[in-house]
Amino acid sequence: MKNVIDWGNPLENLTFLRPPVKYIQEIPVLLKMKGKERIISIIVTAGILFFFWILLSAYFDTFHLVAGLACAMIVAVLSHDLLFTKPVRGGILTFLYFIHYCGWLFIEIWLAGLDVAYRVLHPSLPIDPQVITFETPFSDDIVRTVFANSMTLTPGTITVDVIGSTYTVHALTSEASRDLTEGRSIEKRVHRIFKET
Amino acid sequence: MIDFFTLVTVMLIAMGLFFMIVGSIGLIRLPDLYTRAHASGKCDTLGQAMILLGLIVYEGFTFDAVKLLMLIIFLYVMSPTATHAIVRAAHILKYHAWKPGEDRQ
Repeated sequence: MKNVIDWGNPLENLTFLRPPVKYIQEIPVLLKMKGKERIISIIVTAGILFFFWILLSAYFDTFHLVAGLACAMIVAVLSHDLLFTKPVRGGILTFLYFIHYCGWLFIEIWLAGLDVAYRVLHPSLPIDPQVITFETPFSDDIVRTVFANSMTLTPGTITVDVIGSTYTVHALTSEASRDLTEGRSIEKRVHRIFKET
Repeated sequence: MIDFFTLVTVMLIAMGLFFMIVGSIGLIRLPDLYTRAHASGKCDTLGQAMILLGLIVYEGFTFDAVKLLMLIIFLYVMSPTATHAIVRAAHILKYHAWKPGEDRQ
């Protein structure tokens, strides 16, 4: 009976929904941006919001465009510091790396689906699941999220837990876990997009 | 005469359905929660994305197609996150991971 979870008092066991204390201390203090940085941040946020407005409304008459622009500006002035917690940086090269990374990720997703399909449909079910823990050099929250999500989408691995820069991963096969701890191909690719981590 | 784009649509949706079915079979065949998360997290994401891609091809170059593209992007951010949330909850509750040779759960 070792696999049956003792749920106990359900309200007490919901503690995993709350972030542990060490995460609460890690939440970054929002920077008060000043002068030029603030203006650039507001304009970029308003641009993204307005683009999204046009995309979803698909109306091109004056009233809808002006209303959308006004709403985008108001929201941007109030909450631009939530989108860019640091001053905007990164050039065209970073963007090209990002596009290249998206293309690579698309192929990996395909391979992941085919890999799981092969293992599921094979009569003898060739799996060798294992849980492994390893360190990464990433310090930024966005980079950590991108890395964790990429790992879940690529063949054979699922991110179980992230504490600081230590990842706990469930691998479906021993090849997949060896690729993470020795090959580190995903890590190198993520590192190339976000050079400054 | 069948139009070329309709043919591509049908092929994409058929492949998407294949991956969805494989995901469901995996949910039945695999031994425990973690390995089942592999099947549902990967095959279902791929299957849903391919069905949406088929609908984009059917729709042509319109605003609805762009909205479907946004849906695919959203799906690719959301699906790994949801899988991770379920697996992490199991990990924190110290749910035992299946190893070869043990009974299935």
